[in-house]
Amino acid sequence: MQKTTRKPVNSFFKKIFVEAGTQVANYAIIFLISILIGALVIFLSGKDPIAAYKALWIGAFGNGLKFADTLDRSTVMILAGVAGALAFRTNVTNLGLEGQLYMGAFAAAWVGFSIHGLPSYVHIPLCLIAGCLGGAIWTLPVIYLKLRWNITELVTTLMMNYIGIRFTEYLIAFPFKDPTATLAGSPVLDASARLPKLMQGSTLNIGFIIAIAVAIFVYWFLFKSKTGYEMRMVGLNKDFAAASGIPVNRSYILAMTMSGAIVGLGGAIMITGFFGRFLGSFSSGYGWDGMMIALLAQNHPLGVLPASLFYGALANGALAMQSATGVPQTAVVMVKGSIMFFVTVTVFVPYIRRRLEKWVA
Amino acid sequence: MAEAISVNNITKTFPGVLANDRVSMEIEKGEIRAIVGENGAGKTTLMKILYGLYRPDSGDIRVKGEIVKLSSARDAISKGIGMVHQHFMLVPSFTLAQNIVLGVEPHKRVFIDEKALIEKVQRISDQYNLDVNVNKLTLNASVGEQQRAEILKALYRGADILILDEPTAVLTDIETKELFSMLRGLAKQGKTILFISHKLREVLEISDNTTVMRQGKVVGTVRTCETDDCELAEMMVGRETIGGRIRETPENREKDVVLNIENLSVLNSRDLLAVKNINLELHSGEILGIAGVDGNGQEEFVEALMGLRPALTGKISIDGQEVQEFSTRGIRESGVAYIPSDRYRSGVAVDAAIWENLITSEYYNKPYTNGMSLMMREINNLSDSLVKKFQVSTPGINVKAGNLSGGNIQRVIAGRELGLDKAKIVIASQPTRGIDISGTEAIRQMLVDYADRGAGVLLLSADLDEIIALSDRIIVFYNGKIYNAGFWYEGIRQVVGQLMTGGEGGCNAEDNAQTC
Repeated sequence: MQKTTRKPVNSFFKKIFVEAGTQVANYAIIFLISILIGALVIFLSGKDPIAAYKALWIGAFGNGLKFADTLDRSTVMILAGVAGALAFRTNVTNLGLEGQLYMGAFAAAWVGFSIHGLPSYVHIPLCLIAGCLGGAIWTLPVIYLKLRWNITELVTTLMMNYIGIRFTEYLIAFPFKDPTATLAGSPVLDASARLPKLMQGSTLNIGFIIAIAVAIFVYWFLFKSKTGYEMRMVGLNKDFAAASGIPVNRSYILAMTMSGAIVGLGGAIMITGFFGRFLGSFSSGYGWDGMMIALLAQNHPLGVLPASLFYGALANGALAMQSATGVPQTAVVMVKGSIMFFVTVTVFVPYIRRRLEKWVA
Repeated sequence: MAEAISVNNITKTFPGVLANDRVSMEIEKGEIRAIVGENGAGKTTLMKILYGLYRPDSGDIRVKGEIVKLSSARDAISKGIGMVHQHFMLVPSFTLAQNIVLGVEPHKRVFIDEKALIEKVQRISDQYNLDVNVNKLTLNASVGEQQRAEILKALYRGADILILDEPTAVLTDIETKELFSMLRGLAKQGKTILFISHKLREVLEISDNTTVMRQGKVVGTVRTCETDDCELAEMMVGRETIGGRIRETPENREKDVVLNIENLSVLNSRDLLAVKNINLELHSGEILGIAGVDGNGQEEFVEALMGLRPALTGKISIDGQEVQEFSTRGIRESGVAYIPSDRYRSGVAVDAAIWENLITSEYYNKPYTNGMSLMMREINNLSDSLVKKFQVSTPGINVKAGNLSGGNIQRVIAGRELGLDKAKIVIASQPTRGIDISGTEAIRQMLVDYADRGAGVLLLSADLDEIIALSDRIIVFYNGKIYNAGFWYEGIRQVVGQLMTGGEGGCNAEDNAQTC
């Protein structure tokens, strides 16, 4: 009896071990190759790759302050990544994260600079809720077009990006222009709308904690809640979900608006935590980064956390690298691009799995 | 006459299916040969082998007397074999002429020679008397015209042997007539034509000889002028039931109507009328078999019943309550269990765990949720018990459904749909297609048990043996209408076969279109 039950348990753990090992090895190899490609480019441009990477490392993690700044940089990336992961896992191709980020950011800024005299504990939540609403509302036209005429969101979300970015630009250039500012931007937010800092001398603020909480919530929502189960089933096989009686349209609406709300919250945190006002083109493509991060995290909300930290570190480190060694930041873009390429191709997974299985056996 | 193409002892297996079993036939030059058979008889597999898309496991193919190896469509084309697919392979934004020459355009140096292109296509079109306006954009061309362009495409590439896969399925009656006169013209000019169909009337009208296939084998080849639709239908569906009857029809038929359908019409995905004003009653305790060749409206009918496709007109009542406006969930909650025909498309999510596939109709009820979270302990208990009861062979309920065999996937679906003994109506579409014998027996037994407990069972199957083995009463879908074959009796098979292939009148030996 004992013997017959033991064997499957062993092979079960062996399988888990092999799978986890494969994943780690897979990512390690992808990172290594990508870093080598970056090094090669730096070397070919006549600079010292080791010095450049050292500067990058120090810039990202060199001391507590720099580490805190890196965490701050990754905050919006976490939210954009979670928004992407939620959408992609539920079969919603939301490519409009960037536009939703801008709309959320502006909505939060507007609440921050036009409502006065509120205590922080009211004003901040109001700003963040406005951010969520801004992002969510920006998905409504997309949802309408999809449900009414079955127009794919792949195109409409992409187009809504440009409308959102230009629309907020218009808002700060005309109706909400701050006459005293040199840069195109909204008026400054009231102090009561600013997020409390977590560390002296760093921009890290409670937005980071909110982002982690959102990632954990979305994990719970997707994998442990009733509605999340519905949405994942729709994501895995829409026809199956429909035939089983799962409300497919409701799932679509919810996934799209939640995704927009989460990335909108990211925009709100950037404005209330970092900038203190809405600035034109304030986002250096965080919405797009979010999609890449979701891909890197294989659409797992908790996998988004390390992936965002990595992206945040690359972003902050690149600045330091450029000023210290003269290697342009674009070298980092090269590394990021290579990683995305290899993750997408994932040629290594089956190969390594086969090798590992042989090795374990 | 000279032999154009022949196959000798072709065998082709797919995992679990013997698609072609020692198939042999010879076709002469200038002949129009029809190949008929039910779904899954192996016609399309054979045609794909002839066109180089599949490779046979054994057997050989001769073209004009010479043994050939066809390992791609390119090989087949070079041997003069052309294929007109059921779904056209044309670029909508190109002109018909551009589509016809696509890939083999005449050119001047690196540029395509548009003038020569149009001239060449026009010449061939005139030569074979195919009325094609070559300058028309494909997206503006009618279905018939697109089909002629497909035929021209094959002829342009030098085809002497044309394979047409159910060419009339997409055509109107007038277009079909035009096609037939064109095919006769082509045959007169020495082209050989292989024509796949399951519409016997058309076969009798157009072909010189007819080969009937059933369950991967050639049943026989007959001169079309010497046969009639009765004989062909009998060859297609066979004479005896294999495996025998497993259902004991209850002595006292119950009269309670559990499902009542009145004047139901349904559109298909191309907005054509697929179900035409049908009326049907399903009684408690009854297994009602729905036979029919695929594509005669039965899928659309089931989808309308399940709320997956809107009813154009008509009423659907379950236990007296009208449900045609209900959502799929509402219909399921009214007591309907549904085993979909395509288990990979709508029966399971292959990347979801077994437990996730088992709870789709229960997860939102207590005790499986508290309103917010899934209650995993209850769900695991339910899943474990269903896996056990339905003998799903798996190491655990966390295994992805896609890792199971087809038969085990079907057991998962059966477990979900039938495991909780709730259903008043069971709609089982192809419930045993492609699964092993023990799985088939288990699922058939479950359906019988359900009927014995007073549920109404609608059984749809492409396998006529299954319908005859299980049903108390049989209806046939033909061209969107239903024809009643009546209560089961020893010789019902012939009647069902005739209704499947010809609809209302059944077969009529006097009806033959050709004389020798």
